[in-house]
Amino acid sequence: MGNLETITQKIRDKAKSLLSSGQAEVVIGYRQGTTPLVAAPFFARKPEDCDKLIWSSFARLNLANYLPNRKEKVALVAKGCDARSAVGQITENQFQRENLYLLGVPCTGLVDPAQVAAKEPRPIREAKETDEAITISGSGFTVDIKKEEVLRRNCRTCSHRTPTLSDELTGPEVPGAKPDDFADIQALLAKTPDERLAYFKDLIKDCLRCYACRNACPLCYCPICFVDETRPQWLGKSTDPMDTMTFHILRGLHCAGRCTACGACETACPVNIKVREFNRVLDRSVQENWSYEPGLAWEQKPPLTVYQPNDPADFIK
Amino acid sequence: MTEYIVKENALPDFFQALANGRRLLAPQGQGENCQLAPLNGPLSLDYANTHMSPKGLFFPQTEKILAFHKLVDKPHYNVYQDLGDHSQPTVIFGIRPCDARGLAVSNRVFQNDRFTDPYWKGKYEQTVKIGLACLEPFPQCFCSAMGGGPFGENGLDVLAYPKDKGLGLKALTPVGEELLKATKAEPADLASEIKELEQKAIEAQGSLDDYKTINERQIMELYKADHWPNTAEPCLGCGVCTFFCPTCHCFDIQDESNEKGGARMRNWDTCMSPLFTVHGTGHNPRPSKTERVRQRFMHKLKYIPIKQDGVRGCTGCGRCVVMCPANIDIRSVAALMAQASA
Repeated sequence: MGNLETITQKIRDKAKSLLSSGQAEVVIGYRQGTTPLVAAPFFARKPEDCDKLIWSSFARLNLANYLPNRKEKVALVAKGCDARSAVGQITENQFQRENLYLLGVPCTGLVDPAQVAAKEPRPIREAKETDEAITISGSGFTVDIKKEEVLRRNCRTCSHRTPTLSDELTGPEVPGAKPDDFADIQALLAKTPDERLAYFKDLIKDCLRCYACRNACPLCYCPICFVDETRPQWLGKSTDPMDTMTFHILRGLHCAGRCTACGACETACPVNIKVREFNRVLDRSVQENWSYEPGLAWEQKPPLTVYQPNDPADFIK
Repeated sequence: MTEYIVKENALPDFFQALANGRRLLAPQGQGENCQLAPLNGPLSLDYANTHMSPKGLFFPQTEKILAFHKLVDKPHYNVYQDLGDHSQPTVIFGIRPCDARGLAVSNRVFQNDRFTDPYWKGKYEQTVKIGLACLEPFPQCFCSAMGGGPFGENGLDVLAYPKDKGLGLKALTPVGEELLKATKAEPADLASEIKELEQKAIEAQGSLDDYKTINERQIMELYKADHWPNTAEPCLGCGVCTFFCPTCHCFDIQDESNEKGGARMRNWDTCMSPLFTVHGTGHNPRPSKTERVRQRFMHKLKYIPIKQDGVRGCTGCGRCVVMCPANIDIRSVAALMAQASA
């Protein structure tokens, strides 16, 4: 039995026992999607639901997103980044630790459908996976692709693939990728402010302002987002480029030092905007200035929500 | 109505004649970049469908409809002026039958015996629509299940299909007939070929459930069914489904102004957002995503059919199926509605 099947079986067994014993009222995990290369969110409330739960390298949404405001006792199937998001929500008082059972999945990285499509543009009718590869097929073709060739960008630089905090792991720990050196944003950092503005304008030129990135993000739990406020109305509702830019910049700033690089925003974006570019630069700043990474300790507060006398202040001119 | 053939070497002349001074739009780009755009370059018929539906050409995501200025010494100071319907004579080549059907559904919303929307009307009526049939339906397609088909004619003036690297064409309306007559397309008898290709394409979609029992059920039975909380639970509330849907047509009117003047615009709205129904008092009749998700599917599969003689508000284009980040699949929801009992 491969690793995927072992983890799937472990998730199902654990989910059944948590629901039967009343330790959890709902298990939030993934089911097989109805389209290829997709694992969809699934909410199991009865032991007999649990056989629909799966583990897959198509599990791109971050299920911690479903925690805030939930009153039930939850068992959450969480890969490394999702577990850190859940811990972050607890440190930010969005969920109660005692209501959460973290079922951590050591993750070897998730598949990016855009990179699969780049390798195989023909319409895909079915996708199967083993631990190492995916097999995609369509009308008159079957192709094997190694997963490591089509991993999402954020998965390639993830150094916390095994959940650092959890109540239980579904399998043996996996090594993280080499520490993130932010190589992918060096070119961006070398740009002048004007060049950066031009870069970001181009990045979001297709944005529909559907806010799927925000809605898929476990950090975006505000009861009313600033873009939706009407008294006063901070942002227009049209496709005005300035409003669109304001949304992305403000959302990026709101997430500074809190983002666990789960990539759910980019998964949800219907027009393939590299939304994380906004966060990457800020993540690096927070790591450099405060040596802080979110979601690694139950008691750790995000640096931008607390004040300490020895905080770096060089940027205040 | 007549059928025509255009051979491969006659295509450039054919498209030039089609345009004849009008704006000619055709699918350009591949995959997620595929969209209807002015045709300048080789035509590619090898696309599943445009990434977004063509509704934005008739009902833009943002459309300025009125404007005013604050120049005291100029006429119409501080008074809104009509900006017109922004329409121009247009020929679209390559609309898929599902999308043409979607436009026809919206057309009955924007133009009917009670209302005429001038902004929609101007653009819709000045556009000749040439569809491109689907010889091999794509994995996400289920038009046959929704009352359409890969060779569906509803909403089109002409239906085209790839034929020997050229085109086969069937005129469907007097406008379409006139347009084709003005080109050098050669008249031909294609009826039996079209019928055969259509049959093949429908078979290629496999046996699809048509969810017929939804039509027989009462509104309240569907509305009160107990699956809705579970159906809605994964929903992120992003509204991607509504933005990509060829029949979603709800809009919001907003005024924006600065020190020089202002504009009244209408923007696409989405029923997936809590703001869509929130009242001035703060009361929201659709307070949670359960009500919002239910509304969307009830509208597509029950309310629109009631108002439009059985025609559904879903055309089976499959965009929401592919684009929904949470994989809420309208086919699964329709199946639940078809078997729902109160």
